[in-house]
Amino acid sequence: MTDLTTLGIADAGRMMARGALSSSALTDAFLARIASLDGKLSSFITVTAERARAAAVQADTERRRGFTRGPLHGIPIALKDIYETEGVLTTGHSHLLADYVPAIDAETVRRLKAGGAVILGKLATHEFANGAMTPDQPFPAARNPWNLDYQPGGSSSGSGAAVAAALCMGAMGSDTGGSIRNPAGFCGTAGLKPTYGLVSRCGIYPLSFSLDTAGPLTWTVEDSALMLDVLAGHDPNDQASARAPKVDYGASAHRPIEGMRIALARHWYDGITPDMDKGIDEAVRVLRDLGAIVEEVVFPDIRDYHICGRVIITAEAHAIHRREVIETPEKFGYTTRRRFQLGAFLSAEQYLSALRFRRQLQVDTRAAMRGYDLVMTANQWGAPETFEEPQPIFHFLGKPSLTMPFNVTGQPALTVCCGFGGDGFPLAFQLAGRPFDEASVLAAGAAYERATSWRGRRPKL
Amino acid sequence: MPEPEIAITLEEFRARAALTGLPLTEEDIGHLHKGYAGLLALMQRIPDQWAWAAEPPHVFRADE
Repeated sequence: MTDLTTLGIADAGRMMARGALSSSALTDAFLARIASLDGKLSSFITVTAERARAAAVQADTERRRGFTRGPLHGIPIALKDIYETEGVLTTGHSHLLADYVPAIDAETVRRLKAGGAVILGKLATHEFANGAMTPDQPFPAARNPWNLDYQPGGSSSGSGAAVAAALCMGAMGSDTGGSIRNPAGFCGTAGLKPTYGLVSRCGIYPLSFSLDTAGPLTWTVEDSALMLDVLAGHDPNDQASARAPKVDYGASAHRPIEGMRIALARHWYDGITPDMDKGIDEAVRVLRDLGAIVEEVVFPDIRDYHICGRVIITAEAHAIHRREVIETPEKFGYTTRRRFQLGAFLSAEQYLSALRFRRQLQVDTRAAMRGYDLVMTANQWGAPETFEEPQPIFHFLGKPSLTMPFNVTGQPALTVCCGFGGDGFPLAFQLAGRPFDEASVLAAGAAYERATSWRGRRPKL
Repeated sequence: MPEPEIAITLEEFRARAALTGLPLTEEDIGHLHKGYAGLLALMQRIPDQWAWAAEPPHVFRADE
């Protein structure tokens, strides 16, 4: 592994600022690493090498003239392939859009480009951010860089794999029921699901209007904060977009956490693997050593959030894809098709009950959090799944999702790596904050990372 | 997690499927029946009695 590709965004920015590094050199290093290693990982669907080199030259030229666009100026990143990109193939990892080239960028892509980011390409995903990775899809499934026989998690599968393998400095994912945090946890990266409404979804293929969020996966929490600095902000073209006050997230990642109060939702993860349990206990100890107060708190039952979110996703995803599942069902992967068909069997009353239940869970969660700044819980039950066939059609019939609570409540939630199990896979916990308090979430996550050595270990490829 | 209790028979489900407008194969119906039955079992956790004023949250925001 070259040194350049394992730099953090903040470090690379500082080196470029003092003239010790150019965006062109950095971009070339990543393109070379992608060419060398992505044949094993299949994390990229499209590599936009020429566009990336041109953007890097532009970034270097601007910097030489004294103009910098912010923390992502000249930083190579990549996008989950559900983000529309002007002039670049945007497939949703589906036969349905295998040739689709959008005319304009998603609002988030526009913001990233305006912030000076260099787009390296488009990343594998579960089909339309929902289906499992099956062999009837047009592109290969992304692999877990810690062990290529295992899945990287999803649906932002390529995003997690590419960041962990140092094929980009950051990647965009989307999170409706955990699709940023699952691959972040299984690949050992940081991943931030922002508050619902903080980051625009305009130009990103929807899965579930009332739950979809867009956010970054990066190697460190601080790097996610720097990406959020560029991404956050009101967008009149996203009907759920909020007018939240401007926050310096990069600075918040350096805030001390002494006195911060953290509610540990331990009862949610009863039954996780012993390694994961130990890793989280140790993370609690580290946070306490940093001055945080961590106490066990009882929240609503994890199964309540799980089924509430699943009914909403099933109904809304069907509404979005109904025409295609009627007219061209054979173009979907076999899991995606059935997951999108299922919503046709839900009644309006069942959907509305789930929406009402969501409001109740939001109120009850807020009440349980009273007196606390953050919620802490496990990110995943254990190791990722292998690439066995056939994939389960309805994954929600398994264990309840540990990530769904914060989709249902809309709160910001961050995945933080807290070590490695005996099987070599990363361990991870979540930190969630009050709505629009990403600053506290990032402060605690970054403080934990600085106090531990886990960011020094990368997968060997 | 144990197998969910089947609350709708395959024949009942097939009759409902005919009303959805979806072109479904027998294999689709078999999978969907299992998924729907599982969903129904999990949905028993969602209250079905609500106060008339229990208005669902809105995506559209009144302040904009």
